[in-house]
Formats: sequence, C-alpha cells, structure tokens
Amino acid sequence: MDTSVLTDTFDLWIDDGLAWISDNGEWAFDSLRGILEGTYDGILWLLQLAPFYVVALIVGLLAWRLMGLASAILTGVALAFCAVMGLWGETMTTLALVATATVLALVVGIPIGIAAGFLATLNTALEPVLDLIQTLPPYIYLLPAIALLGYGPATALIATFVVAMPPAIRLTSLGIRMTPHEFIELGHASGLTPWQMFTKVRLPFAIPSVMAGINQSLMMSFGMVVIAGIVGSGGLGETIYGAVRTLDIATSINAAIAIVILTMILDRLTQNAARRVKVGAR
Amino acid sequence: MEMKISDNDVLLDCRNIWKIFGARAPAAVKAVSERGLSKKQVLQEFDCVVGVADASLQLCRGEIFCVMGLSGSGKSTLVRLFNRLIEPSLGTVTVKGREISGLNAAELRDMRARTIGMVFQSVALLPHRTVLENAAFGLEVRGIAKEKRNQIALAALEKVGLSDWTARYPSELSGGMQQRVGLARAFASDPEIILMDEPFSALDPLIRKQLQDEFRQLTKSLGKSSVFITHDLDEAIRIGDRIAIMKDGVIVQVGTAEEIVTKPADDYVADFVAGISRIHLVKAHSVMKPVAEFRAEQPNCDVDALLRTTPDADIGELIDLTMRSDSDAVAVVHDGKIVGVVTIRGLLRGVAGTPAEARAAA
Repeated sequence: MDTSVLTDTFDLWIDDGLAWISDNGEWAFDSLRGILEGTYDGILWLLQLAPFYVVALIVGLLAWRLMGLASAILTGVALAFCAVMGLWGETMTTLALVATATVLALVVGIPIGIAAGFLATLNTALEPVLDLIQTLPPYIYLLPAIALLGYGPATALIATFVVAMPPAIRLTSLGIRMTPHEFIELGHASGLTPWQMFTKVRLPFAIPSVMAGINQSLMMSFGMVVIAGIVGSGGLGETIYGAVRTLDIATSINAAIAIVILTMILDRLTQNAARRVKVGAR
Repeated sequence: MEMKISDNDVLLDCRNIWKIFGARAPAAVKAVSERGLSKKQVLQEFDCVVGVADASLQLCRGEIFCVMGLSGSGKSTLVRLFNRLIEPSLGTVTVKGREISGLNAAELRDMRARTIGMVFQSVALLPHRTVLENAAFGLEVRGIAKEKRNQIALAALEKVGLSDWTARYPSELSGGMQQRVGLARAFASDPEIILMDEPFSALDPLIRKQLQDEFRQLTKSLGKSSVFITHDLDEAIRIGDRIAIMKDGVIVQVGTAEEIVTKPADDYVADFVAGISRIHLVKAHSVMKPVAEFRAEQPNCDVDALLRTTPDADIGELIDLTMRSDSDAVAVVHDGKIVGVVTIRGLLRGVAGTPAEARAAA
C-alpha cells in the first residue's frame, strides 16, 4: 500500500533521528543526566538527613504559620502516617523528584512565560506547542527520554519537567498580560523606565497568576512522577508500579494514600503561600 | 477682561494638533495637511476616525484650563497628547518652550516625572501598596531616598486631609478618599503642570463639589497650572479660569465662564449653557447699557443719583443693589466715571440669557 510506505518511511526517519541524536549527543545527555541526578540526589540527601518526625514537625510548623493549628496537626499526623505505613523513604524520594522537576520547570518556564507575556508573537508561537505537550498522553515523554537518558531518575525527571512546564509558562504569560490598562498608563505618565514598569507595575499584578502557575506545575509533577515509576524513578510511583505487576493491592493502596497526602499538603501549602506574596512595594 | 499673554507665561502651547486613528491614518494625515479634508471626508475616504481635529490652546502659568466635552468629543485624547501618552498625528505641543515630539525616551520620562503630573478618573492606586507608598510612587520612581520621599508624600497627604490613613490600603478607602490620594500623588512630585482626566466624574455630587473646591484652592495656593478635563459644565465653571468647549474633536470655543455663557460661539454651546444659572456668571459690564441711551429713554432719571457698582459685579449683587435702591437702575462706575447703567430689564435679560440682546447690550 502507498500509505504504509509513507508511514514506514516516517517511522524510519524518527528511529534514525533518535539513534543519531543518542550517538552524537552522548556527552550532552550524559552531562544532562549528571545535572538532573546531581540536583535530585542533593535534595533527597537533604530530605533524608532528618528522621521522619523532624520532617513532619517542620512541615507541620510551616502549615501552622500559613494555615492555622488544625491544618498543622493534620499535616504532621498525615506525614507521620506515611512513615507508619513503612513508606517514608519512598515518600521522600517522590518529594525529591517532584521538587527537582518542578524547580527546573519553573526556572525554565517562568522566564519563557515572562517573555511570552511581552511578545505577542512568541505567545502565539508557543500556544500550539504547549497545547501539544498538554494533550499528548504523558507516557509518550518517557520513551525518547529512556532512549537518551536510560533507565532511572533522570528519565523520570526530564519527562516530569516537560509535563510540569506548560502551566508555568501559560499562567506567567497570562499574568504579565493581565496588567490593567490604567496602571500601564499611570506608569507611563509617571515616567517609569521599562524595568520599573515591569517590577513596580506588571509583576505585582502578575504574582497571583504566577503563583497559580507554580501550584499547577507542582500538581502536574505529582501526576507524572507516579507514571514515571515505570522507568525506574524510584519512590512511590515505582512502589505502585511494582504492586500492580504483582497484584499486591494492599501495598498499592498504601502508596496511593501516601501520594494523596503528599500532594494535598504541598497543594495547600503553596496555595496559602501564594495569598501572602506581595511584591513591588518596598 | 482679555488677559494679556506674554510668551514666558505660556507653560503649555498646543498648536493645530490632530489625532487620527485607524489603519490608514498616515495617508489620512497626509490628505488632511495637503488637501484640508474635513473629519467626515477622512472617515469616508480613509475609514479613519478623527479624535482631535486642529486643536490649539495655551495653558498659562497659574491657570486652570478646563476642557469640557461630552463622551467621544476627544477631550481625553487631547489631554494625552500633552504628555505624549498619545502621539499627535499633526501639529506641535510645546511644554515650557520645548517641543515634546523631539524628546527622546529618557527626556520624555524626565518630563513626565518632573514637569507634567497626571490624575486619572480611575485613580489607579496600586492595590498592593499602602496609601503612603502610593503617594510616594512618583518620587520612588525618580529614585528619591525612602525617608525623604515618605516625608514629602506625608506632607502631600496632609494637604488633602489623609495623614491618618497612611498605613491603609486603597481598598479600605472610599472613592473620594482614593481620589484624594491620587491628588496627593500628583502634588507630591511637585510638577508645574497637572493634567486632570475627569478625576471627579465617578464621585457622588457632594464629595465632588468638595474635591473641586479643594483642588482649585490647592492648585492656586501651590502656584500650579492645570488642564482639567470634564464632561460637566458646572464643574468647568466652578474650577476653570478658562474653558474650552470640545465637540467631535474640535475646540468650538475658548473663553472665561462668563464669555461662554453670555456669548456662546454656536448653537451647540448655546444649548449647553442654556441650563446654567447666570446669577454669578454674568457681570455688570455685559448687561449695562450706555449712559446716553439710558438718558434718552428715561430723561427724568438722574444718573448721578443712582447707586453705584463696578463692572465686575455679578447679577446677584446687582439684584441686591436694585432692591435697596429707590430707582430701577444701578450705575456702573469704572475709573471714577459712570460707564453704563444696568436697568431691571437688563438684569432680566442677563438672567434669562438671551445671547443676541446681551451681546448688543454689551
């Protein structure tokens, strides 16, 4: 058939291309892997430094400051429960994965979002790319990643990074574009430099949207990090994947509970932190 | 009555400016300058809207100049041409002798920060800043040290009666108070010219009146000059030393409140001023009749025995005088000479505001 020739050729190109990239870009991917796993190992080391009750206490205190006493107690107890289930190590591994991937996604995504907020053409160009990233099934990102970076946390991190970045870009760009017209006019009429306009007018108005983007990135990361259990990410995702393969329902449910606990704590913490952020007035 | 204007006194000089909006604006501008198209022709031929057409005005030092027009008359566009928030399509705007179209970005910022302040209808107080930080905004932008700028901002807030509210956020203030902060922010930067873009239009009538009086008093006592945009003729009369009436982008008439009320340039202005009370606007010199004419009509009346007043006495004062007088007329004295007589008939004409006769009488 004609059509099968076309698709076969296309598939051949893709395979050849990937092979070429992995052959010729080895040093690049090795160093990428080094950076990703280095950051991840550092964060993980930090999280495992203290016993579980100290971590639970610290996060509980943070929750107290941001949300109040009831939430604080609930947070501490919930984290301790993860340890009681015997999943403390996995929980911290997952947290380290999520933190690393989210921070990377924000470091890359927020500046791109700011640029897209100012440049309408960049925003228009990014729109379909972000749509594509967000509509493709997240498993897709694991395959090229595993081909280039191999089995392990680096692959999970890069796939999670890809999935977590779009909300940061979108909501940052939206925030920058959302500055009410009268304040832009005020800025011009007051003789602001472009930099002052950005820091004193646009950014303060953008902060709520940017914070929502950070929260969304975090949530996307959690979703992906579990899926990435398949490629040997370690942590709760891998526990669930292992439990699914051995039909160990009890373990899979325990791990799922731990994930829910971790996700909810981070979601509430970032949401409440977002409400307190005020930038621009000094 | 006519003010003598020397070039030194003109702070802001705007000559024959046009602003044309639309995709084909450059072509339309060319056609206007070469062929002198009308607004209607510009719309038909180029599908462009004329925001401001051939407007000229001079703002003198210490003067409050009101631009009055209904929505869509181009008054908000006009005021934005004065600090180049909008670039004019044609014509020149000169601020303190410097043509502002020639300023580069840094010079323009400097002019906006130091020379021309602006107050908006929307107030535009930054919601995440306190009242004090908002009032100090213009100074902060200029890089003035925190202590110094807070001190200046506090003094400005004191002038508008808000010194107790410095630590509050704008959302905690009423609309009138917010606009006071807007005024304080403009005055804190100590600009020579303040552009007021319908600042009090959104306020309720009582607060509006208070702010109008305060603004006029502040501006005069600090020696500032202002272009004040409004859609309210009462406001223009209350605040303005001179008033320009704008319609469809054209300045139809410029003059003092009295000139506009007593000698409207066209039917549009006449319609506008029809409802305005003339009691305090129309002065003796506009309603008096020449002494000879009065003598011819009333040979029995002794002009020298009449109660006397000045040419600037308004109708209210003239009515008071007439009521106290035995006769039905008041003599108007200028430089020790009787220059005219105001009869009851003249007073009624002044109150009713029949322009043709009033003009004839003047």
